[in-house]
Amino acid sequence: MESRTRLFLLTLAAATTVLPGCASFRWPWQDAPPPAVEPASTDSDNAPPPRVIEPEVERRKIKVAKIDQENIEVGGFYGVMSVDDFGSNPVYGATLTYHVTEDFFFRAEAGQTKLGLTSFEILNPGSDPLNLGTDRRLTYYGLSVGYNFLPGEVFLGRNLAMNSAFYVLGGVGSTKFADDERFTLNFGGGYRILPTDWLAVSIEVQDRVYESDIFGKNELVNNLEAYLGVTVFF
Amino acid sequence: MFVTEPYLELRTGPGRGYPVTQVVGRGESVEILKRRTDWLKVRTERGIEGWAAQRDMVKTLLADGTLLSIDLGDRAGFTSHRWEAGGMVGDFDGANLVSGYLAFSLNDHLKIDLSPSQFLGVTSNAAPADRSGYTLDIGLNHVFVPEWRFSPFVTLGGGLFNVNRDPQNPQAVDLHDQSAYYGAGFRFYLTRRFFVRGEYKNRVVFTSRNDNEELEEWKVGLAFFF
Repeated sequence: MESRTRLFLLTLAAATTVLPGCASFRWPWQDAPPPAVEPASTDSDNAPPPRVIEPEVERRKIKVAKIDQENIEVGGFYGVMSVDDFGSNPVYGATLTYHVTEDFFFRAEAGQTKLGLTSFEILNPGSDPLNLGTDRRLTYYGLSVGYNFLPGEVFLGRNLAMNSAFYVLGGVGSTKFADDERFTLNFGGGYRILPTDWLAVSIEVQDRVYESDIFGKNELVNNLEAYLGVTVFF
Repeated sequence: MFVTEPYLELRTGPGRGYPVTQVVGRGESVEILKRRTDWLKVRTERGIEGWAAQRDMVKTLLADGTLLSIDLGDRAGFTSHRWEAGGMVGDFDGANLVSGYLAFSLNDHLKIDLSPSQFLGVTSNAAPADRSGYTLDIGLNHVFVPEWRFSPFVTLGGGLFNVNRDPQNPQAVDLHDQSAYYGAGFRFYLTRRFFVRGEYKNRVVFTSRNDNEELEEWKVGLAFFF
């Protein structure tokens, strides 16, 4: 009760001292037109207080250019493939790689080699027990998942450093030869050097394993290949 | 891009194993040149180029003061993304199956699937399960709850069904047919951009014989989104 009256008296005292001051302060302005910023606040009672300075700077609209993605690696390879009982022969092919993260990549690859003579054909010149005729091609493809490890730099001389990494990969695919197509597992590893950001040179070894009954009995066949690949990132 | 953290590390290559050779101080700017996986190649004010981690770059500011937004390839990306692709292995009515697929998302739930597959007989006998050939399917894929880590889907579509000519059964006429399928499967988010996808398809092959052929296939594999 007592504090309420004290508050009332204090307010009254403040009002009597401040309000006349206000009136005298505003006196010279009373005839002047209202400032231009006022109308914005007349819409409703809840409108925000009028801004003293209206910024008239146009906001810079920044359009962010699309970042160039370079996750795809395309290229070719050339090397040697040893086909079980058909000797070692040149192999060539193409690869398409998508780098999902810095560690993992997906790869599709296809290759082709020419079969040499089997030991039977060498011992019996002119024979063609498998009825291959002139078509002595072996083609294969594979879908693999790869993992990069031990990334780092290699130094060629004093002033040249190149990025490099080892990788392992494994996958599934098929091998086709002698009118026969087989489900094939492939696994291997390689070493990749990048002379520039967009060019990669790699050395790779892969084993392609499948079951074949081409010689009459079902057996597991291992075809080893080693090759040099050149790929471009884009 | 303006650096707001105390510094930004630049490496010689797009990977954590490559050495840090430069740092960019707070307040300095860099220009983004390109992106590879989770790394961005940038050029500093002084013309020096290097690779910065994406997770560091999302803390840099554009000239208008907003943060750089990049698709980080996380769990949110699993729910909502534009493209996905993967490879699968399985069984195609007794034969081995190798399959790849590419899918485009119409929205978070509905995807168009393009899937080439090859089935490979186990032996070279002329038995039906030992046929080899390929299928090329296009279909629609409906994911029920894309935000779940384990999310089931149903699929419906059709495509080509081709059987290789069998040297032991050269009279076979039905080498190229059309087929339709329905099926169901699941997607399970692993980490980063990877998930496991498995599915079952029941396929009807419209043969030129009196009866259609019904084939079952199932496959499972690894996929990623981008």
